[in-house]
Amino acid sequence: MTTASRRTTELGLLVLGTMFVVGAYLLASVPEDSDIPTSVGPFLGIIVGLPLAAHVAVRRFAPHADGMLLPLASLLNGLGYVFIVRLDEAKREPDGLAALQSVWMVLGVAAFVGTLIVVRDARKLERYRYTAGFVGLVLLLLPLIPVIGREINGSRIWVSFGPVNFQPGEFAKLCLAVFFAGYLVEKRELLAINRAFGPIALPDPKHLGPVLIAWGVALVVMITQKDLGTSLLFFTLFLVLIWVATERASYLAVGVIMFFAGGYLAFSAFSHVQSRFDIWLNPWGKTKGYQVEQSMYAFADGGIFGRGLNLGVPLKIPVVESDMIFAAIGEELGLLGAAAILIAFLLMIGAGLRIAQQTTSGFERLLATGLTTLLGFQAFIILAGVTRLLPLTGVTLPFVSYGGSSLLANWVLLALLLRISNDSAEREAERLAAGQLTEIGGR
Amino acid sequence: MSKQIRNLGVFLAVCYVALFLQVNRLTVFEAETLQDKPGNNRAVERDFSSPRGDIVSADGVVLAESVPSDDRFQLQRVYPPETADLFAHITGYFAFSLGSTGVEREYNGYLNGDDIGFDFNRLDDLFVDRDVVGDVILSVRNDVQQVAREELGDTPGSVVALDPRNGEIIAMWSTATFDPNALATHDFDAAAATSEALNADPERPTRSRSYQERFFPGSTFKVVTATGGIERGGVTEDSPDYPVSDSYQPPGGGRPIPNFGGDSCGGTLFVILQQSCNTAFAQMGVDTGGDNLYAAAQGFGFDRDIPFDLPGGVQSNFPEEIVDDPPLVAQASIGQNDVQATPLQMALVAAGVANDGVIMEPHVMREVRDDQGDKVADFDEDAFAQPMSPSTAGTLRAAMESVVSDGSARRLDDGLEGFAVGGKTGTAQLGTDPPQSHAWIIGFAGPPGETPHIAVAVIVEAQPGASEQTGGQVAAPIAAAVMQRALAPPAEAGQDDQDSQQDGGSGDGG
Repeated sequence: MTTASRRTTELGLLVLGTMFVVGAYLLASVPEDSDIPTSVGPFLGIIVGLPLAAHVAVRRFAPHADGMLLPLASLLNGLGYVFIVRLDEAKREPDGLAALQSVWMVLGVAAFVGTLIVVRDARKLERYRYTAGFVGLVLLLLPLIPVIGREINGSRIWVSFGPVNFQPGEFAKLCLAVFFAGYLVEKRELLAINRAFGPIALPDPKHLGPVLIAWGVALVVMITQKDLGTSLLFFTLFLVLIWVATERASYLAVGVIMFFAGGYLAFSAFSHVQSRFDIWLNPWGKTKGYQVEQSMYAFADGGIFGRGLNLGVPLKIPVVESDMIFAAIGEELGLLGAAAILIAFLLMIGAGLRIAQQTTSGFERLLATGLTTLLGFQAFIILAGVTRLLPLTGVTLPFVSYGGSSLLANWVLLALLLRISNDSAEREAERLAAGQLTEIGGR
Repeated sequence: MSKQIRNLGVFLAVCYVALFLQVNRLTVFEAETLQDKPGNNRAVERDFSSPRGDIVSADGVVLAESVPSDDRFQLQRVYPPETADLFAHITGYFAFSLGSTGVEREYNGYLNGDDIGFDFNRLDDLFVDRDVVGDVILSVRNDVQQVAREELGDTPGSVVALDPRNGEIIAMWSTATFDPNALATHDFDAAAATSEALNADPERPTRSRSYQERFFPGSTFKVVTATGGIERGGVTEDSPDYPVSDSYQPPGGGRPIPNFGGDSCGGTLFVILQQSCNTAFAQMGVDTGGDNLYAAAQGFGFDRDIPFDLPGGVQSNFPEEIVDDPPLVAQASIGQNDVQATPLQMALVAAGVANDGVIMEPHVMREVRDDQGDKVADFDEDAFAQPMSPSTAGTLRAAMESVVSDGSARRLDDGLEGFAVGGKTGTAQLGTDPPQSHAWIIGFAGPPGETPHIAVAVIVEAQPGASEQTGGQVAAPIAAAVMQRALAPPAEAGQDDQDSQQDGGSGDGG
C-alpha cells in the first residue's frame, strides 16, 4: 500500500469515526432542551481537533504507518468521552470528570505526538532494555512505598504526589514490554533449548529463572496491591512473549500451570481473592456483588438496540465511568453498540499483530506483539469482568474508560506501534528500491 | 515467531467471540430473567425519571400527573389535593421503594408508554419530540365520587356504583382513606414513615373497603338465596307460599332461626323479600339444598377471584364446608354464619339482576389516550359470570323493585322519581353489646323499560342498634343520592358552576 493511500484511508476513517462520535454527543445532549448545548465548542475541539492533530503528526513523523489504529483509537476515545460527559451531566453533583478527561485526552494526544517525535527508531529502545526493566519494576512496586502509595477502592495501585494521583502500573506495562522484548531477543536461543524429561520436553530448569521471577513479581503484585487484573496482565505478557520468542509451547504449559498454582495458593490464603470468586459465581444480593449485579442489569435493560443515549440509568453502577463503562455502553447502545466496541478492539489487535508480522527486526516483532497483547488482553480482562465472563478485576478499558494514567499510557503504546509499523514499511520500501537498483545495475 | 503470533491472534479472537456470546446472553437470552431479579429496581428507577401520563376521571378531572421537580428524578408524581384522598384507593400511588398500587400499578405500561405502539402516521412524526405516554381515562366520575363522600361522611363504610350494562365503575369510595402524595414523595424517609404509620392505623386506610375488605352481608344476601331458589329449588313468584311464622326450625336440630324482633312473617317470594323474612329464606335455602346455594353464590363470584383492574382484591366467602349441614345452611341463607362479601361483590349481585342475569367484568379504566388525545386502547369489555337466566333476572328485578315500592328499601328512590328503582336492604348484626350492625343496601336504577344504568352497594359500618330497618334508613339515602347523581349527565371539569343546573335537570326529569 502506498504512503498516500494509507494516510488517505486513515483520514477517511477518522472523519467517519468522528462523525459518529459527534452524532452520539448531539444525541446525548440535545433532547434535554432543543438548543445546541453551550459546551459544544470545546467539545468539538476535543473530538474533532485531537484526532486531526494526531493525524497530522502521523503524516509528518510516521507517514508509512498503519492507517487503521489511529481511527479506531480515536473512535473508542471519543465514544468513551461522550459517555463520561453524559454520566457527568446526569450526576446530582457533577464531579468534573468530563473536564478532567478532556485534559487527559489533550495530554494523551500530546504524549502520542511526543513519542512519535522522540522515538525515531523503535529498535534503539532495545539498548535501554535493562533500564526499562528496572524502571518498570520500580513503577510496579511504587504504590507499596509508604507516604506516596495510596489505596483507592481496595487496590493499592495509586501513587500521589501532592494533588496528582496516578497509577504507575499503567506505565510499568510499557517499560516491561520493552524489557521483555529486548531480554528475550537476546536470550531466545538459549531459552529455546528443551530438555527431555522422559517423553515430555520441558525447558531446562536453569533457564526457568526468568519465568520464576516474573511469576514471583506477579504474585507479589497480586498479594500486596490486591490488584488481580494488573498481575494477570503482567504475567500473561511475559508468557506470551517468551512463547513467541522461543517458539516453545512448553513455556506456555509451564506458565499456565504455575499461574493456576499461584492462583490456587492466593485463593486459599487470601480472603479478598476468595470473595472475588464467590461473587463471580453468585453475585446476587451480596454487598460486594452489587457492582457486577448492576452491570448485568444494565446489559439486560439494553437489549439488542439499547435504551438510547441518555435514556438509561447507568449511574446505578458503581465506578461506571472508569472500569465499568462498558456496562453503560451496553445499557444505552445495546448489543449492537457493545459489539461495535468488541469489533474495534479486535480490529486493533489484528492491526497490531499484522505490524508484528511485517517487521523484520526480532526486537520490534516482540515489542509489537507485547504492546498488542497489553492492549487486547487488558481490554479482554475488564470486558470479561464487567460481563461476568470472568471474575471482575479492576483495570481500565483502554481508550474508553476515564483515567489519566491509562489514557496517557495507551496513547504512547499506540505511538510505539505506529512507529514500528512506519519503520518496517520504510525499510521494506528501501529494500525493494535497493533490489530494483541492483537489478538495474546488473543489467 | 510468525506462527506463534498467528496463534496468539486466534486465541485473542476466541476470547472476543466468547465476550460477544456473553453479551448476547446478558442482553437477549437472559435479559428477562435478569430484569425480574428481586434486586433489580432499574425499571422503577427509569419510570421515576420518565414522562408519565395523567390519570383522568370520566368527567375530565386530572387525578394524577407528573410535574417537573428539581431533584435527581426530574419529575414528581402529584395527586391534586382536591381529589387526592378521594381517589386514593383507585389511582393508588406511584412510590419508589414502596412500589406502586392501584391504577398506577395496573396500567403502568400505558402510563409510561411501554405498552403503547408508536405508529408513524406521517414522516414528520419522526421529528416531533412527542412523549409516547398514555393518559388513562377512568370510568369513575369525580362528581359521583364527591357525592359518595359527602353522603357517607366520616363514617367507616363504602360505596360502590357501577354501570351494570358494561361493568364500568362509576364511583368507588370508602373511608378511611389516605393522601397518596405522602407516599409518592421523593423524601423516601418521610414516605417510609408515613407508610409505617398508615399500616399501624387500625382503620387500615390504605386498604379499600370496597374490594379489599369483607363484611357480613346480612339480608342483602337473600337476593343470592332467591336466585338459588328460583334457578335450582323450584321457587316461583307464586310458590311456595312460606308459612307465616316467628321462627324456623331447620331439620337436624340446631338453633331455630328467628325473625327480627320476634316478628312473624311469611308468604310468596315478593312478600318475603319486601319483609326480608328470615324464617322464609332460611327454609328456602334448606329446601334448595346447601350445594345449590353454594353454586348460586359462586355464580355471583363468591369463593372466586373477581376479574378487576385494580390489584390486591380479596375473594368473598361462602363456607363450602357447611353445605351438608342444614342448620348452618339455614343461617347462611340469610347472610349469617361465615358468609362474607366485599361491597364490590354485593354491587355485582345487584348488577347481575339488573343486567338480565349477566355480570360484566367490573373495571375502572375506560380508555387510554396519547398526548394528542387519540385513543390508543380501551377496556376490552367482557361478561364475567351469568349467575341466572334472563327470566330469573326479570323475576328478581321485579321483586327488588317491589322492595322499594312496598318494602324495606322505600328510601332508595328518594329523588329518583321517574326512574325504575330496585333494591334490597341488609343489617348485619355484629353481636356486640350495646348492639351494633352494618347497614347495607344494594340496588339499581334506570329509566323504566330499560336495563338499569346504575347498580350500587353501600355499607355503613357499625351503626348503633340491630333493627332490620337500619339498612333502609341509613344506607338507602346514601345510595339514592349517588344514583341520582350518576343518572344525571356528568358535570364537565371546570364547569362547576353548572353543577346546580344539572342537578335540577335530573330532578325535573322525575
